Amino acid sequence: MGRESRRADVRVGVARFTSCGGCQLTLVGLHDALLALFERVSIVEFAEVLSPRSGGPYDVLLVEGSVATPDQARRIVELRRQARALVVIGACATTGGIQALRNWADGDAWRAAVYPNPEFVAALPTSTPIADHVHVDAELRGCPIDPGQLKEVLTAVLVGRRPQLAETAVCAECKRRGTPCLLVDRGLPCLGPVTQAGCGAICPAFGRACYGCFGPVATPNVAALRAQLAGQGRSDEELGRLFAGFTANAPAFRAVAQPPEHNE
Amino acid sequence: MDVILGTPAYLPRTRLPYLFTALQAAGRRIIGPTISDGAIIYDEIRGVEDLPRGWADQQSAGHYRLVPGNADRYFGYVVGPTSFKRFTFPPTVPLWRARREGSEVTTEAIEPEAPALAFLGVRGCELAAIGVQDRVLRDGFVADPDYAARRAAIFIVAVQCTVSASTCFCTSMGTGPEVTTGYDIALTELNDGYLVEAGSEAGRRLMDTLPLTPAESVQQDEAKESVAAVRRTIGDPVAVEGLPARLLARLDDAGWAAVAERCLGCTNCTLVCPTCFCTSVGQVSDLDGTDSIAERTWDSCFSPTFARVAGGDFRPRLQDRYRQWLTHKFSTWVDQFGSFGCVGCGRCVTWCPVGIDVREELARIAPVETVAPVVAGETIQRPVAVPAAPPAPIALPVVGSTVSADFSRATVTRIKPETVDTYTLHLTDLDPRLLATQPGQFVMVEQPAFPPVPISVSRIGPSGIELTVRAAGPATKAITMLAPGDQVSLRGPLGRGWPLAELDGRDVILVAGGLGLAPLRPLVEAVLARLVPSQKVRLYLGARTPADRLFVADAAAWARTAGVDFEETVDRAGSDWTGRVGIVTHLFDEAEWDGRDAIAFVCGPERMMQAVAATLTRRGVTPEHTWLTMERHMECGIGLCGHCQLGRVFVCRDGPVFSVAELGDAFGQEGL
Repeated sequence: MGRESRRADVRVGVARFTSCGGCQLTLVGLHDALLALFERVSIVEFAEVLSPRSGGPYDVLLVEGSVATPDQARRIVELRRQARALVVIGACATTGGIQALRNWADGDAWRAAVYPNPEFVAALPTSTPIADHVHVDAELRGCPIDPGQLKEVLTAVLVGRRPQLAETAVCAECKRRGTPCLLVDRGLPCLGPVTQAGCGAICPAFGRACYGCFGPVATPNVAALRAQLAGQGRSDEELGRLFAGFTANAPAFRAVAQPPEHNE
Repeated sequence: MDVILGTPAYLPRTRLPYLFTALQAAGRRIIGPTISDGAIIYDEIRGVEDLPRGWADQQSAGHYRLVPGNADRYFGYVVGPTSFKRFTFPPTVPLWRARREGSEVTTEAIEPEAPALAFLGVRGCELAAIGVQDRVLRDGFVADPDYAARRAAIFIVAVQCTVSASTCFCTSMGTGPEVTTGYDIALTELNDGYLVEAGSEAGRRLMDTLPLTPAESVQQDEAKESVAAVRRTIGDPVAVEGLPARLLARLDDAGWAAVAERCLGCTNCTLVCPTCFCTSVGQVSDLDGTDSIAERTWDSCFSPTFARVAGGDFRPRLQDRYRQWLTHKFSTWVDQFGSFGCVGCGRCVTWCPVGIDVREELARIAPVETVAPVVAGETIQRPVAVPAAPPAPIALPVVGSTVSADFSRATVTRIKPETVDTYTLHLTDLDPRLLATQPGQFVMVEQPAFPPVPISVSRIGPSGIELTVRAAGPATKAITMLAPGDQVSLRGPLGRGWPLAELDGRDVILVAGGLGLAPLRPLVEAVLARLVPSQKVRLYLGARTPADRLFVADAAAWARTAGVDFEETVDRAGSDWTGRVGIVTHLFDEAEWDGRDAIAFVCGPERMMQAVAATLTRRGVTPEHTWLTMERHMECGIGLCGHCQLGRVFVCRDGPVFSVAELGDAFGQEGL
């Protein structure tokens, strides 16, 4: 399996679109694993960490952020051409992010309300995931992404195997951790049963209901969860807001999400 | 005082700390009930102060709340979200370490940890659950070494149920509320203390160290009555009489789709279940992929990846997954392990976030009247097709003689390309048990950093075996890229092969589709080696295109063998193909032969095998003499991980070769 050739120069880049930058900094947060990684790959583009910038081509390009401007819509197509494997990282890149709440709004009206000279701001009316624009080879969910999953996907690329990324609901991780179900024992509105695992079920372990930052599982039964929460006396308004979070624009959540400003 | 096994004694509540001291003095850590995150869970406890004194649990479908109970009682609750399997069968366990240095591979099992623990507060249903897992993981086909080691180090202090929840149904499952067996000591909580009984010699010795007094008859009566009251309260909520057959008769019921409307597929029911044992194996590797640890993690038949293989998903719909779970617990588990997989603890009812209640689903999907005997002249309200014939019994292969669950190493000596993506590896330097592989058996190929892959053995020679591998994904691709001289780590031979004993001079029909010829080749060679003049062999091969045909030289030789009728076809042909085009059944649709005394062996995609089996039936081949090899997701190869279940069978353990009669209704059932 070309064990020797693996040491060849693997060019890794990090590109940022509309996002806070937290996901790419997860790479820096790998600490010792990052040092080991540096011995095996060349990080050729990582604006937040490295001064020299060399650009493509890339064996692996990590793309953070959503497409929110016309310029970004052009740039992602160009980057895709330069990348052998394109891995999107984080809730923005995989679903459109929190900024996708603009998709429910009148973008021009918002721009006019926020900026004194809105004509200088070139923004698309929507914030959309990278996969809406180009083919993606793998995705890491979450706001922010999980460092273990980032290490796994990079290891898998180097080894040449399929990344082992959880596809179950967050509930599986609560159970392995030993966290009692917040929906059942406290009646909290937890999105864990319809949200993809990978975070390690951190929030429920601290008594905080999951708010779905990893986005929906492959076959989410959102209607059934929504019906259960409604049966516990929650209003449509409250339920709409529950799904209108960091991954509101993921299709399964988008269908029921309703940001607060738009509950007339 | 001197305690005789079975003679109850009395421990005043104020003296309960002595029990902790005695267990700790015996070198044990105590796992028992304690309050955490709004629930009574099981965790390490150090003294009575950690017990949930004065608390009760209010439970119903999808609902659990701690509420104040009898202020003095330590055990006034029922069961919580944790089960003791967390400590005998932990969520994540390292299994083996694999390393590659140059062309050498080493795979070594990781020694199990087995801390000396005492379980405190084990209820009747939970003791039964430990018994169920013992049968699956310790006393079954192949013992799981980690489970066996942990289990052997457990001391059990049971506590009789003196309270119940609305979710309890141990009475129906025959597991409670009474604690009757399987414990070291058992307590019954009374107003001021505990009735203490020994259930084992170790328990009796522990009782010797406690400040006990003889139990008075009034105390014994109080204990009996409080447990009897629980039995009366629970009643008999599930009609288990005939339940396994009732459920199997309802595989096509509309109720599965109805419950899937509510089911979240979240896995909670299976992971709170004290008997569910399904796991997946993940690889934790270094960046070079040369050093990795295989970790076993709790998984669930509700996971989206659970029944997935390279070619697709055997249970794509939630209704398929719910049906798998419910039919396994209440029907096929009985075939596999001799008891129900459910102990009636009610955890799956309480901890389902949308409150799906198995008791209601069983009553809805498999009501008692569905198998009521037909009385002449009487109309049955809901007539239901009971399976036409119960599936034929299955004889398991024998571990140690025909099956080996141990790792061994082999060296790749040749690699031969068969098609554009399929290669045959010739392996030598084998464990002698692999040289005794039976046609139809398979091996798990374990490479550092990659998931284990089941590969059927495509040739068994005097000094080596062959594996024919299609590069369907990264793990199989990595196998096809091994070089001569490289070692591979193998587990096997595994599974039950083709039934050579059934040949018995019969005419033989062999049908292969695509890569399905690989597990059939050793059978063809065995059949031809013992061919008698009166016997006819009919060999029908199908492939997608002429370039996808396997073992072309072997096939040409088979075609020339006296007594062999050989025909082949391709789905799509190029201009240089002068042979037949079309699906493989077309090769014998209009043939002259009568199959009544013949035996047939078929391997290919499942849909192809269904079509072939139907055609063979029309030609008179009996279901008992129609043999197939089935594909399912396999991870362990020894019936422990749960992935490859197909109705009542584990494909890896009981098969992969089955007769159509053995599979019964499971063959061709969508989503099973």
